[in-house]
Amino acid sequence: MIECRLAEASVLKKIVEALKDLVTDAAFEFSENGLQLQAMDSSHVSLCYLQLLSTGFEHFRCDKESSLGVSLPNLAKVLKCANNDDTLTLKAKDEPDVISLVFESKKQDCIKDFDMKLMDLEQEQLAIPDTEYKSKVTIPADEFRRIIADLQVLGDTCKITAEKAGVRFAVEGDVGKANITLKPGEAADEEGGKSVNIDVEEAVELRFALRYLNYFAKATPLAESVELSMSKDVPLLVEYKMGEIGAIQYYLAPKIDEEDEE
Amino acid sequence: MKRVSAPAEALTEAPETASSGAEDSPDAKRAKKASAKMEKVETVNVFAQSGVASAQNAATALNAAKKEANSGDDFATLLADAADAGTSNLSLERPALDGSEMENDIVLQWVDMDMYSGDPLREHPVPGEHVPGLRSGEVPIIRVYGVTDKGQSVMCHVYGVTPYFYTDIPGDAFGESELSRFREALDARVCSAARINQGSAVVAVVIREKMSIMGYCGGAKKRYLQIMMSLPNLVPKAKSVLQNGFACPGFPEKQFMTYESNVPFVLRYMVDNDIVGSNWLTIPKGRYRARGPSSRMSRCQLEVEAVYEDIVSHDPALPEWSAIAPLRIMSFDIECMGRRGVFPDPTQDPVIQIASYIKVQGEDHARAKVVLVLDSCLPIVGAQVKSFSDERELLLEWTRLVQRADPDVVTGYNVESFDFDYLMGRAKALKIEAQFGQLGKLRNKVAKINKKTFSSAAYGTRENSEIEMEGRVVMDMIQYMYRNHKLSSYSLNAVSSEFLGQQKEDVHHSIISDLQRGSDEDRRRLAVYCLKDAYLPLQLLEKLMVLINYLEMARVTGVPVPFLFSRGQQIKVLSMLYRKCLQLDIIVPVLPRAGGDGNGEVSYEGATVIEPIRGFYDEPIATLDFASLYPSVMMAHNLCYTTLIPTGEEKGLIENKDYKKTPTGHLFATTERQKGILPTILEELLAARKRAKKDMKAAKDPLRKAVMNGRQLALKVSANSVYGFTGATIGALPCIPISSSVTAYGREMIDATKAAVERKYTIKNGYKADAQVIYGDTDSVMIKFGGLDVAESMELGLKAANELTEELFIKPIALEFEKVYSPFLLLAKKAYAGMYYCSSAEKPDKMDVKGLVTVRRDNCGLARTVVGTCLHKILVDRSVDDAVAYAKETISALLQNKVDISLLIVTKSLSGKSEDYAVKQAHVELAARMRARDAGSAPVVGDRVPYVIIKAAKGAPAYMKSEDPLYVLQHNIPLDFDYYLDQIGKPLKRIFTPILTNPDSLLHGDHTLKRYKALPSSNVGIARFAVKKLQCIGCRAPIDCKGGLCRSCEKNRESIYLDRLAEANDLEDRFARLWTECQRCQGSLHQDVLCTSRDCPIFYMRKKVQKDIEQVQTKIDRFAEIDF
Repeated sequence: MIECRLAEASVLKKIVEALKDLVTDAAFEFSENGLQLQAMDSSHVSLCYLQLLSTGFEHFRCDKESSLGVSLPNLAKVLKCANNDDTLTLKAKDEPDVISLVFESKKQDCIKDFDMKLMDLEQEQLAIPDTEYKSKVTIPADEFRRIIADLQVLGDTCKITAEKAGVRFAVEGDVGKANITLKPGEAADEEGGKSVNIDVEEAVELRFALRYLNYFAKATPLAESVELSMSKDVPLLVEYKMGEIGAIQYYLAPKIDEEDEE
Repeated sequence: MKRVSAPAEALTEAPETASSGAEDSPDAKRAKKASAKMEKVETVNVFAQSGVASAQNAATALNAAKKEANSGDDFATLLADAADAGTSNLSLERPALDGSEMENDIVLQWVDMDMYSGDPLREHPVPGEHVPGLRSGEVPIIRVYGVTDKGQSVMCHVYGVTPYFYTDIPGDAFGESELSRFREALDARVCSAARINQGSAVVAVVIREKMSIMGYCGGAKKRYLQIMMSLPNLVPKAKSVLQNGFACPGFPEKQFMTYESNVPFVLRYMVDNDIVGSNWLTIPKGRYRARGPSSRMSRCQLEVEAVYEDIVSHDPALPEWSAIAPLRIMSFDIECMGRRGVFPDPTQDPVIQIASYIKVQGEDHARAKVVLVLDSCLPIVGAQVKSFSDERELLLEWTRLVQRADPDVVTGYNVESFDFDYLMGRAKALKIEAQFGQLGKLRNKVAKINKKTFSSAAYGTRENSEIEMEGRVVMDMIQYMYRNHKLSSYSLNAVSSEFLGQQKEDVHHSIISDLQRGSDEDRRRLAVYCLKDAYLPLQLLEKLMVLINYLEMARVTGVPVPFLFSRGQQIKVLSMLYRKCLQLDIIVPVLPRAGGDGNGEVSYEGATVIEPIRGFYDEPIATLDFASLYPSVMMAHNLCYTTLIPTGEEKGLIENKDYKKTPTGHLFATTERQKGILPTILEELLAARKRAKKDMKAAKDPLRKAVMNGRQLALKVSANSVYGFTGATIGALPCIPISSSVTAYGREMIDATKAAVERKYTIKNGYKADAQVIYGDTDSVMIKFGGLDVAESMELGLKAANELTEELFIKPIALEFEKVYSPFLLLAKKAYAGMYYCSSAEKPDKMDVKGLVTVRRDNCGLARTVVGTCLHKILVDRSVDDAVAYAKETISALLQNKVDISLLIVTKSLSGKSEDYAVKQAHVELAARMRARDAGSAPVVGDRVPYVIIKAAKGAPAYMKSEDPLYVLQHNIPLDFDYYLDQIGKPLKRIFTPILTNPDSLLHGDHTLKRYKALPSSNVGIARFAVKKLQCIGCRAPIDCKGGLCRSCEKNRESIYLDRLAEANDLEDRFARLWTECQRCQGSLHQDVLCTSRDCPIFYMRKKVQKDIEQVQTKIDRFAEIDF
């Protein structure tokens, strides 16, 4: 028996929006500690990992660890029916073949009840081993989204260079090239708290496919800022922290030169 | 799984096999089977010797034994069996002459014919008689190679044939007196064009009364010049001189039209002397002279010279001349030493084995099986193995073998483009070309390879190599396959499995080198493999009746057999046309060739198709067909070159009496005025076909039956090709008025039939329901009479066919009742399926499927299987529910990765590098990627590349999604199931649309909810950095403790463990079965399987099971991790 309630349906809405372009079918893993989801995109270049802690829910109950396979595009359609400020309750029996979603309006005057068929996904679980990252960059989430969108105009591979002095995003394509550099600054503080924060132990330069960074940036509404963690020869970690409820993490394999030829 | 062989048991219930069978090892069992088989064959042998009467029985018994051996799939046993069947009694060589031959008529079936130029015949074989033709200088001499009914080889030099052609007269005033002036002037021009200093090119010019085939002339002959040349190669020279503008002294210069100036000389000779392809000839005694040893040109047993007028040609239509001589057939295959990653190159890589099969047409067993091996080799029972330490010796021994066996027909698989080419190249590299190349029947003549590109509308463009071996016809089975069958793969393996139900092991060429470098046993293994490659083409040749059917085609159309392999369709019609024209004093002009760029092509309206009323008909649908539609239209309306009246020239003629206007507005003379040549040819062909069919029914001897069947097929094909000939705009003699009139009549007839059916067979006229024509195409209409059962539909169909023929059409156009479909599924134009009732109304003859997911190469096997099975369930089992359930089940299995990967493979052959293609193609890109991974095993140009479609980033182009199936299996790469769902979904939706209200429900719904998501093994993308998290073996919940099970599954530990163990056992058993299957296929149960055939489903199954075992084993091992 699973039953958990979120104060605002919009949280799950945004989460699904952040995932559905990257992953189509995924398993929600419920345990007493909360809910997690982990999946690779269809070309196996990136991996996303969602963690929602039980403490972030208004109410959370899970008697038995279970894995519920869900078609994310279908879930997104169902969630469209919820108002952002509705409360959302997820329910499932033991050995379920459907998951129920209940939307209740703030005034308690409207209750919507949906049953969605589950998929039986036969898959194995992956984990990225914990890494001590040599450099970490925190950027306002919408700033990051803007950078990625801008750079995509020019090319499809982005070189990210993190140094103490700043972080540079560079693209070279048929049309031309572009460089965007962000400096750590108190300057941004004037506008209210959002600023670039750079913590570089060792300068790093890595190359990534912009296509995926763009998918990751779909998580922007979930958090104020995004943290990029990098080290040589390990995947880039892009993390959106959603306060007390949990976080969404994306891992992206760096491009290796010989792959560029393709 | 393929069938497991147990052939001998059924036949020989030997007590000892039964009693001791249980504890026997499989090998002992096989040995026993083999010996049982041999006994069987031995008894047969006794039969064979006991007399003629039982020969028939013996032959059938032998065949049975052979079949039995075949189904065992064990080629070595088969070789051994055959060895026991008395092969050795018959010698490799042809039967010796007994000395009386030269005193009798020589009767031979000719197989090959060529010409050379040489001195004229000094004296006529009959003293005092005159030899026609030139008396000095070089003259053309035709060589005819043939075989007597005893199987002895004959070659005859035919003297006295003069090449000639026709042209227009220079002007009306031209008369007999100007002939010599014309000759001299033309001769001068031709001699200078051909750089001839002495002698003359134009031998004689004569005025002949002839008609041109083009256009109606009311039977009025005109004067033409017949120009006789000294040598055939001067004909085209003279033709171009005349065409480009020539002035006869006393007449203005003009461009002359030439006639019959492009007839190959050999064909000219055949046409003029009524010789058809491979018919029987008699050289009467006393009218030939034998050549002595010193003047012989060939290695034939009899070599004679004669004058062409003396040779008697026999009509193969006469029963006494329809037999086939004991022709000798040789099939061979070579193996060469490859280097890793490079295709063998004759300048560097040696030939290591040559296997040859020698057989005589009409005999059941091979005369000899010889394999020549470089380096030592263990013996093979049933075959001769000869070892050589020197490659030159090996090659030369093969030449001697060819000379001794003296085959009339040489076959093999892709021998023209590869094996011969390679052997000749190798001989050149070893500098023994001159000795090695003595492969033809002529002495001192080195075989030659001609490379040429052949292109034809019917066969497409192909690059061919042709080997010239005088007197031997090369029938490369790959060419036959290209020309006659549309297949998804043309590898010998695929073709054998399609037509013979046999697989062969496919050893990669890099492994061949390893085997050659190995032990005697390894080389023996290679030799068996090589022998099988020589054996299979021979089997194909026999099973598909290639030799007989081609001989008959040659006889019917009158062209030499090699033409059928090397030339297109048109020459066959031309040959028939020339023959008919000769009888009627008609000559065929040589039209300037239309430009090949297709711009000038005239198109005309083709056949009509009645718009189908789509649906699933659970009631009988009768089909009426026009028998030989286009030929009968041409006959009925007398459509021909010779009856076509040019517009404006119909003055003085009366419409519908003297001529008729076709629906396209062309005018053709009626039969009363002038009977056309094409209708005459067609009438003769169809009458001959009727006779052949009758003879076939009456024939008792299976060989004669086969010959008659081959003949009636050849006649049918030939009759149908006449229409195409007139429509071929870049052909030899296109005539659009004919071809467009033919199709126009066809359209009218279909429409008239439809109207008549729907007018006549109605309730008003006392029938049960109003008939409706639901579909019609080109030459058939499908009718729903309504309210009738199959028997009644057949009856009414027959009645309707007769009534309509009577009422609507001119003879010989006839509507025939052909079949009834019930039930019938009509999907679209040219796409339908149904149960076919023809011979009886009780039991359907077969399931007939047209135009549905045919053997298109870009469809995977799964689509074909699913569609086929669904149709079977709908039509045969009559259960739509079953079909739906089956379709859903398959889709479900697909999404869970439970479908065998071999069913998902698409194969295409690699014809060039990526740069050579304008559009990126999946298989080409894959080959490039495979080359980057491992150049050694990657496909090279000419190889076939199998691939599957894998998951890739959203919106990735299809060519990026191809992957090597083996790589996919090894690395557990996820397949793009949605792509495959679409692939099978489209055809499924197509067939279910008329049946289900919502065919989309097949592709969505509960059965698609269970999906397998593969996790790629390391070093692909992000997986390179990730580690697998432990999951519970029972329920797949993520766990972090050892022992393999989560808390809730722990209580079921024992049963879960046993389940996994059972799973592993199952897989191991399956693997063992697959492995033995492959061992059987390779013919040895004692050796490892080397085969890596990418065409073979078992190969992939083997690999997949191997992988599965590994996975289950890791799971089982995890149980042991716990500390009790």
